[in-house]
Amino acid sequence: MTLFSVDNLTHDYGAVQALTDVTLEVPDGAIGLVGANGAGKSTLIKILLGLLTPTSGEVEVLGENVRTHVREARARVGYMPEGDCLPVDQSASDFVAYAAELAGVPAKAARRRASESLALVGLGEERFRYLKDFSTGMFQRVKLAQAIVHDPKVVFLDEPTAGLDPEGREQMLDLVNRLADYDISVIFSTHILSDIERTCEWVVLLDNGRVKRNGPLDRLGSHGVVQLELIDDPQSTAEILRGRGLTVTVDGFRMSIPSADGVTTLIRDAFAETGTGIRSMTETQVTLEEAFFAVGPDLPPPVPT
Amino acid sequence: MNQEAIIVDRGYRPYEGPRGTLRSSMWAIVKDGYRRALGLRRRAWSKVMPWGLIALMLMITFVVIAVAWFAGDLIPDLPSYAEYFDLTSQLGLLFVALTGPLLLVPDRVNGVLAVYMSRPLRMVDYLLAKTAALVSLMLTFYLVPQAILHLGLAGLSDDGFFTYLGANLDVLWKVPIVALAYIATHGSIAFAVSAFLGKSGLASGLYLGFIIITNNVAGLIVGTANFTGAKYAALFAIEQHPRYVRDWVFDSNAGFLIMEDAGFDPWVSAVCIVFVVAVSALIVWRQYRKLP
Repeated sequence: MTLFSVDNLTHDYGAVQALTDVTLEVPDGAIGLVGANGAGKSTLIKILLGLLTPTSGEVEVLGENVRTHVREARARVGYMPEGDCLPVDQSASDFVAYAAELAGVPAKAARRRASESLALVGLGEERFRYLKDFSTGMFQRVKLAQAIVHDPKVVFLDEPTAGLDPEGREQMLDLVNRLADYDISVIFSTHILSDIERTCEWVVLLDNGRVKRNGPLDRLGSHGVVQLELIDDPQSTAEILRGRGLTVTVDGFRMSIPSADGVTTLIRDAFAETGTGIRSMTETQVTLEEAFFAVGPDLPPPVPT
Repeated sequence: MNQEAIIVDRGYRPYEGPRGTLRSSMWAIVKDGYRRALGLRRRAWSKVMPWGLIALMLMITFVVIAVAWFAGDLIPDLPSYAEYFDLTSQLGLLFVALTGPLLLVPDRVNGVLAVYMSRPLRMVDYLLAKTAALVSLMLTFYLVPQAILHLGLAGLSDDGFFTYLGANLDVLWKVPIVALAYIATHGSIAFAVSAFLGKSGLASGLYLGFIIITNNVAGLIVGTANFTGAKYAALFAIEQHPRYVRDWVFDSNAGFLIMEDAGFDPWVSAVCIVFVVAVSALIVWRQYRKLP
């Protein structure tokens, strides 16, 4: 199922272009939305929620056109904002129940749902305490509880680990992973790439308002480089490999080849043909961080959507 | 203790129950407005001001009824329904100064609007629900004591309970209309002020200051200035517009009014109230339409 799709989406704040011609189609599951500050993540989330009207382009969330059916789209989503969003003079239970009622859950069921959601995020015992007395970590948990209390199909998490200590961060990431057990898709916006690697199966990389990468995280990560250290002159083997369509870089007695399915077999066969001696052969993986900072040709192109 | 008793934690699970419409979401906002304005499900100090004002309002009613009961013969000129508004309007002013900012400011300052707007609501729905909360709270504040007064005086009437009610049927529409005039004027200004400020207390103070200053300055200009058009300053005596409408509706003259002194007809005050509401609504909408 398609979680959301955007088509030729552009948004500007006056002279500042926040998103430029973004076209995406993203499946359900855990989606990482990654980019540096100012990359356009929050703008994209606000447009997906119908909080911002894009300058141009079309947006659909769960099959609903956000421009024309914003209420229908919002009825099936939850949102955990990055900043403060909790009334400190209320108890956690009251506020989360209220958040459920806002989404149309009847009052009695809303109170039960609030207890269940707060228990899920580990605040079952503290649910009747006033939010004013909560720590930053507890605040983040209440924010997550209000986002899922009405059982949305997808929840938008905007920097959910911001301000958390290492232990709190681990717990939050575990909670995010648990949402899949309840069939809740996640759109996880962050600039902390390791958080995405821990929680997501699909990643959208944004850079200066443009999509830099969009695809499954494992595919992004599996594209590395095969590096060889040779005993003999590598030129003859390199020519054979180039003849078989591989991009080969030779530097003295070192050779590097972008990895792909079946590439190691091709390398083995070429060296068997030429009889060139190999000292070592390693395949290095590209981390999400390397992918984010890398420029174009070294990495696989965005997955067609 | 029953040895077979067990504790079952059902935990989080998918929700398959009914989901309400926009109306139920808006009703949730209205109910939350009541709780916030009255300090319900909040710490004790949040309850002091609203319930103190409600107690004072009711106390005035019971004092009037008690005076009518024990000393009705000695004090024949008990306050009329119109004059009763004068007795209580200052409390009403304080109540709206407290309630208006409480309904708008905390949601904005605490960032809760981001949560509202991720639900199947639009900003206009949110503002309409907040307005409904304010109007219904204020109507209750004005009408419940009036209803008690009405029933109390009917009970004490020498002509009998039902004869009194029958003879005063006009009160049933006059009192609500006048109450709405008060609420429209004061509530809209309280909302407009609250749309700009980040502290409820500051918004309450500024609102009260605005009402008092415009009233006094307008009175001063109309009463002392000699230049042409000085009488139009009376239009800025905002607090007096609902009172002039009250005199118009009850066909009474409950005291000195700047608008009357300046030579304006009561319908001008009614138009001024509509204008104040329209301008205030525009101001609030301009502030909120791009939030959160």
